[in-house]
Order: sequence, then structure tokens, then C-alpha cells
Amino acid sequence: VQPPEKPLQAEEWNKLREDFQLPELLEEVMLNNMIRCNSPIDVAKSLLTHVAKRNGDIAYNVLVKYLTLCVQQGQVSEIRDVYDIMKVRFKILESGAYNLLIRGLSNSDQWRMALTLLEEAKKIMIPSRTCYESCIKAASCHQEMKLAFELYHEMLAKDVVPTLDILQSFFNFSRGMKGAELQKQLFGILLYLRENQIYPHKTFMWSIKLWFESIPGGNWRGNLTKIKDSGQCPVCKHQLEDSNLTEEEYSNLSERIIRDVIHGTDTFRKTSPEEFEAFQTFVENRLPFDIVIDGLNVSHIKSRKMQCENLSDAVNCLAKENSRLLVLGRKHMLMNSSNWKREIMKEMQNKADFFFAENISEDDAFLLYATLRSGKHCRFVTRDFLRDHKACLPDSVTRHLFRKWQRGHQIVLKKAFPLFFSRQPALRYDCVVQTSGDTWHIPYKDVFEEKYSYQVPRKWLCIQQK
Amino acid sequence: MQCANMLLRKIVRSSVLPFAAQHGMKKDLFPLNRPLSLSLCLKQDKACEPSEKLDLDEWKKVMKSGLQEEVSETGSEPKEPSSLAAARETLEMWRLAGRAVPENISEEQLKTFMECPSKSAKKKYLKYLHLRELHKKSHKRKMDEKRERRLEEQDQASDTDETKKSSFLFLPSSTMEKAYHWRAARSMIFGQPLVFDMSYEKEMSVREVTNTVKQIVMGESCNRRTADPFHIHFCNFKEDSLYHREFIKHYREAWGKLLITVTDQCYTEIFPKDKLIYLTADSPKVMKKFDHDKIYIVGSMVDKSIKTGVSLARAKRLGLETAALPLEKYLLWSTGAKNLTLDQMMQILLTLKDTDDWKKALEFVPKRKYCGFVNKPVKEVKKTLDLINALKLRKEREKVEKRFARNHPKQYTLK
Repeated sequence: VQPPEKPLQAEEWNKLREDFQLPELLEEVMLNNMIRCNSPIDVAKSLLTHVAKRNGDIAYNVLVKYLTLCVQQGQVSEIRDVYDIMKVRFKILESGAYNLLIRGLSNSDQWRMALTLLEEAKKIMIPSRTCYESCIKAASCHQEMKLAFELYHEMLAKDVVPTLDILQSFFNFSRGMKGAELQKQLFGILLYLRENQIYPHKTFMWSIKLWFESIPGGNWRGNLTKIKDSGQCPVCKHQLEDSNLTEEEYSNLSERIIRDVIHGTDTFRKTSPEEFEAFQTFVENRLPFDIVIDGLNVSHIKSRKMQCENLSDAVNCLAKENSRLLVLGRKHMLMNSSNWKREIMKEMQNKADFFFAENISEDDAFLLYATLRSGKHCRFVTRDFLRDHKACLPDSVTRHLFRKWQRGHQIVLKKAFPLFFSRQPALRYDCVVQTSGDTWHIPYKDVFEEKYSYQVPRKWLCIQQK
Repeated sequence: MQCANMLLRKIVRSSVLPFAAQHGMKKDLFPLNRPLSLSLCLKQDKACEPSEKLDLDEWKKVMKSGLQEEVSETGSEPKEPSSLAAARETLEMWRLAGRAVPENISEEQLKTFMECPSKSAKKKYLKYLHLRELHKKSHKRKMDEKRERRLEEQDQASDTDETKKSSFLFLPSSTMEKAYHWRAARSMIFGQPLVFDMSYEKEMSVREVTNTVKQIVMGESCNRRTADPFHIHFCNFKEDSLYHREFIKHYREAWGKLLITVTDQCYTEIFPKDKLIYLTADSPKVMKKFDHDKIYIVGSMVDKSIKTGVSLARAKRLGLETAALPLEKYLLWSTGAKNLTLDQMMQILLTLKDTDDWKKALEFVPKRKYCGFVNKPVKEVKKTLDLINALKLRKEREKVEKRFARNHPKQYTLK
């Protein structure tokens, strides 16, 4: 139904109601449509008046819908009136109403009221991140940076993940402001981005850049750039952080992989204890390897070719320069079949070490173990993104470590003919927000959405202090 | 015109305010009947002035005046711990806001609700309770209707009083039950064993265990009704486990009289290992024929979160042979997981046992999961399969487009 354009008299509403299929739903449907069409608020008021006269009361959900319309149009005095009514009529409000009230009031000169509402909301629930967003934006908009940061830390303490908008607004509203404390807080936000591997989007990046350049007496200069493959920034000639993990991170990760990915809840799910033990002794006796190959994955690279030919191409390609190879496969590869010729397999076994797992075991887990056990220089070859193994890791910190390690150690096939593996893994430098005191390097995304978790941005913001 | 408006508005206001004030005095005397009297007043008010101009803020007055006594009403609440009471209030507000929240919630459910670890878990639990409430209500309504209809029929029947004389022999359901019990008893001595492995309680959530038990109960009743039932074994069954409690909930006192074998022993302790076959969808081996000399094991597990290889791991650990149903071989699979519910498994196995006909047995696989039955291996009907997939893809795309059109009515125009 199309909402009317002008306020209607009670009789007119009554008539509409009679014509409507489900008379008891008229108010709700009508208000929903008003919200969608952004109808004038007077029309909604006339409907409410009609309802109030008819029933002597207005249902809570109808009030909330009216509130939505008011918030949408920024009708501050109406919002306040509705709040007063709700307050007396109902003992407590629910989260939806609080969200709306806070959002509506924070954009007005009554923004302090939004803060008191936030306090009230805290009594019954953990406020949503958009609630915090509205309040923080309102506070920082009115130059109350201290208050804004208090709210920010409060939400972090409650495990509410801040939106990028919140972080961006801090940079936007602190532009040109002085104060060591403020600067420390904003650096803290940049470090938050670093720890959680969040990449700012383009407009956010501009806010950061403009803030740095606006610090009075800071002499910061920002440039947009792309980092060279060697990891050097072309603007300030600074060398970016290495993608290698630290000793502690490394041992932590390999421990976690063994515990959570290979063993998990039950070692039998991916392998069996005997097999894993056999594999362990096999690896320990031949350490260290330079490259570990996922045999089955590589053998499917070209569907026209025989699977063992694909594999032997890959082994030949990688076997140069005396690197020690380990190929992981399954027992069925040893059976002479149309895809797996015994002679070719024999030949390959001279060039590389082979380990054949049971046909029902998962070889990926062995791949991870062998690579990690061989040390930091060792890399692995597979086209698999290893998402399911990442998912076995229990916490986000370890998952980030895993991704970082994967970026630095996975060799992928270049789409070229004949088979050619890029000898170097994707990145030698670490793709996170980083600082050296007088420089900051911040990777950013062109678009707002990040599409794949394994992709990292290639564009950087370089900020240096002159 | 403006002046006229103002004037009218004033008149209206002055005509409403006295009522409100009047009411304010009344409220102490008659706290309960207020809203009614107000609407009555308003209606009279309207009747006097049929051509009034609208006062848009009138609803506020109504709301404000209608409310003071409601607060005073809520003086005596049922005594509950304050946190529970607060949660109950929040739920009530959510219900008023039109969310999927049950009308009535017990203290126990409220506690479960509060123990939910996240907002989405809470929402899910409430939605579950809400739907359950709706189902219960509609079931009750249907039952009432049925009873009424039956009463009416009885009335009519007593009028005519002829239907009772029938040439058929009267066969009460208890006689049928007796026959079933005979068969079950026979199967306990001579029947082929079928094992349910009850060792998955740790792997499941409470609701999954409930569903498991429900499925087993259904399977058991199917088994009882066939001509040649299995001898059902519940192995690894722990006394006073969640399984046990759920079974008692379903069977009540019949639990002790059930003609099945319940034991805390493992199946490997009861039967020779070489006779056991663990049925699991993850098995690399495909079942070719139903073997009447083997003992099949079914894992009693409902797996809502994807935990692949749990039952395969169990079989591997014990060194048992495994098998999967030949679903791929006989059915053009379309969607859904290959693991079937326990009652479906039971019916498939029963049919296999009786007829040895895969087509008949796999009738019990839900229709939504496959497109058709094939006699030839799936490889040979690859072309048809591709066609079906292409059709499916197109349907999916259309669905997505429709959804998009619904969500973005303005941007989306059909050209």
C-alpha cells in the first residue's frame, strides 16, 4: 500500500483499514512503507492519533517504527517526546529502541542525552557497536576527545569490535589538534590495526594521512606508494619488516599445528598414531628439506596430462640448485595405473624423498608438519589455500600467524608454459601497519570490502618525519 | 485559514485536557478501568464535533495520560531472583517489539537463555522456543477441533446406532502390540543384531542428543512393526547419561520393558571383530550387498556442525571394517549431506534385509536430496547430470536475482 501524502482524518483511516486485507496489521504495514518512502512525519502522526483514539493505547512496536521514521528524518524534538512517552509507559526499553534513540540524538545538539541513554542501555545489555559509534562520533565531533577515547576503551574492554568508522572519526576530528596524549591515543589505534591485521580502506587512509600532516610542528609527510618486491619503500628507502615469524611465534605455531590440526580431538580423524609416528621418524631422519610438495595437488595442475607426468615436471622444475625435496603422496600412487606409471614414479624417487600416506589419511597435515619442522627456510608447494586447516586453529592470533607464515612460505604456480614455479613465495615483507618511530607504513585497500582473507593489499601509505 | 486552524486546535485541546485532568483524579479511585473510559470519552468527543481539524500531537496526550496508573499496577511481581526477572522483562520488551520470542518461558529455559554465550546464540534459542510454542499451540487447536468433530459424530451415531454392527472382527491395538512383541522377542533370540554405538555424547550438544534419541525411538518403532525385526543393541551405553535420560523421557516406564539389548560394553567385546561392519558416510568402501551374517554398527550421532570423520576415526581405532551406502552409485545426488538420519538408516537396512533391492531401500532417502534413481553407473549418465546441474544453476541465479530485486527495489529495473 502506498502511504498517503497528507495527514488523514480518522474516518479516512477507518476506511483505509476496512479496505485493507488484514486490518489488524494496517498500522505496522503502513509505518513500514512510510519508513521506506520517507513519508512526512505528519502523516505518521495522524495515523498514531487515529490508533490512540481507537484503542486508547499504542503498541510498543508501532512506537518503535514511528521512532525509526523520526530518526531517519532527524526530528529531534519528536524523538525526545517519544522517549518520554516510552519511559513512562514501559519499565525498560529493549535494544532496538535504544539503538534508535542513541542514533537519533547523537546527531543533534542534544548529543549528551545520547550518552545518558547509553548508560541506561548498559544496565540491561551490552550496547551494540553502532551505539558506541554514534556516541563516539558525537563526542569527537564536539571536540570531547577524552570522552570519546574513554568510550572507545570501554567498548574494547567489553569485546565489542569497533567499526572502521569509529577509528576513522578519531583521525578526522583530531586534525590539527595538539597534545601528546592525543597523539599517543591515535598511535594506539594504528597499533590496534596492526595487531588485528586490519587494513584501512582508501578514505580512511586519507584521514590518517591528513591527520599526520596536520600535526602542528610534526613535520610529517605522507606519500602513496607501492613497495618493491625486495621489501624496500621507494619513497623513504626504509626496509619493511620481514615476513618471517619470530622464534617464539614459530615454535608456537608449529606446536599448535601439531596439537590442533594433526591431532585435534582424535588423531584417528586425519591419520593414525602409528602412521604419524612413522612419518615423524621419517622426517626426523632426513631433515631438513628445502621444499615440501603436495604430490596429489600438484599432479592435478594440467588435466590433459597424466597425473604422474605433472608431478615429475614439477619435481624436475624444483629440483635444480640441489634443493632437498620431499613429496607427500598416498599409497595408491604406487599402484601401477593409467595415471600413475611405475617407471616414472621410480625415476622421481631418485630426485626427491617420498612419503606415502594411507589412502584415507589427510596428507595436508603432514605437509604442514614437515615444512614447519624443517625450519624457517623451508617452503611448500600446493594450490590449496589450506582454509580448513586454518579453521582448526582455535584463536584468531594463531590464525593470523598461520596466514602470515603461509604468505611467506607457500610457493604457487605461475600461469606460464611450461611449468614454472615462482621460486619466491608471494611476499618477503610483512603486510601490516608498521612503524620505525619516524616512519609509518600503512597498507590500504582500494575498496571498502576485503574480498578474500588470503589477499593482501599492494598499495601503501608511507609517512615520514622530516 | 491559519487563524481558523489555531482556533480549532485550541478548541480540541481544551476539550481533551479536562478529560485527562479529570482522569488524573479518578485514577486513584479506579485504577483499572481507565483506558476504557478514556476511549469512551474520546469517542463521545468526536461525536460532538464531526468536522474537527486534526491535532497531530493528540496521541501523545493519550499515551501520557493513559500511563501513570499502569506503573502503579505493576506493584506485585512474582518473586524471582533479580537477574532472572530482569531477563524476563527484556524478553517481554523484545516480544512487544515483534521479535521471535516465546510468550511463556519457564525459569529453567530462562536460565538456559542467560547462559547462551553470544547474542546470536540467544536469538537462536529464543526463536527455537518461539517456534516450538507456535507448533504446540496449533497442535492443541487441531486436537480440540478433532475432539469436537468426534463428539458431533458420536452424537449423530447414537442417533442412528447402526454403524456398530460390522461384519469385521474387532482387532484392538493391544492385540497388534502383542504380536509385535512376539516378533521382537523372537528377534532377541534368533534375529540379526544391529548395533547402535552410543559413545558420541561428548561430540554433541544437548539438542543434538535430543534429536538423536528421537530418531532412534522412531527407528525402533519401525523395527518393531516389521515382519522380521533386527535385534537392536545399544552398546557403550552409560547409565544415567544424557542419552539415558532422554530415552526415559520418551519411553517412560516402557523403557525397562523394551525388547532390545542395552549394555555398557563395547560391540567388540560382544561380537567377533571380523563380523562387524561400521556404517559411516565417510568410509572409502561402498556397500555392495547386504550381508545377513554381518553385524552392522550405526553411530548414534546427529552432526549439525560439520565434524567429518568422527565415526570413521572410531572404526579405525578399533580396526573395524567400514562401509558407506552406495548413494552415489544409485542416486543422482543433488543437495545435502550424505549422512542420513538414524530412522532413515533403520528403514533402509530393514528393507535391504527383507528384499535385497537397493531401489526399494533407497526410497527412504529424502527426495530433496537427489534428482533421480539410476540403474547405470553415474558416469554413463554424465550428460544428463550436466544438464541437471545447468538447470539448477539457472534456477539458483534466478533466485539470487529475485532476492536482489526485493532488497534493492529502486536500483533494480528489468530491461
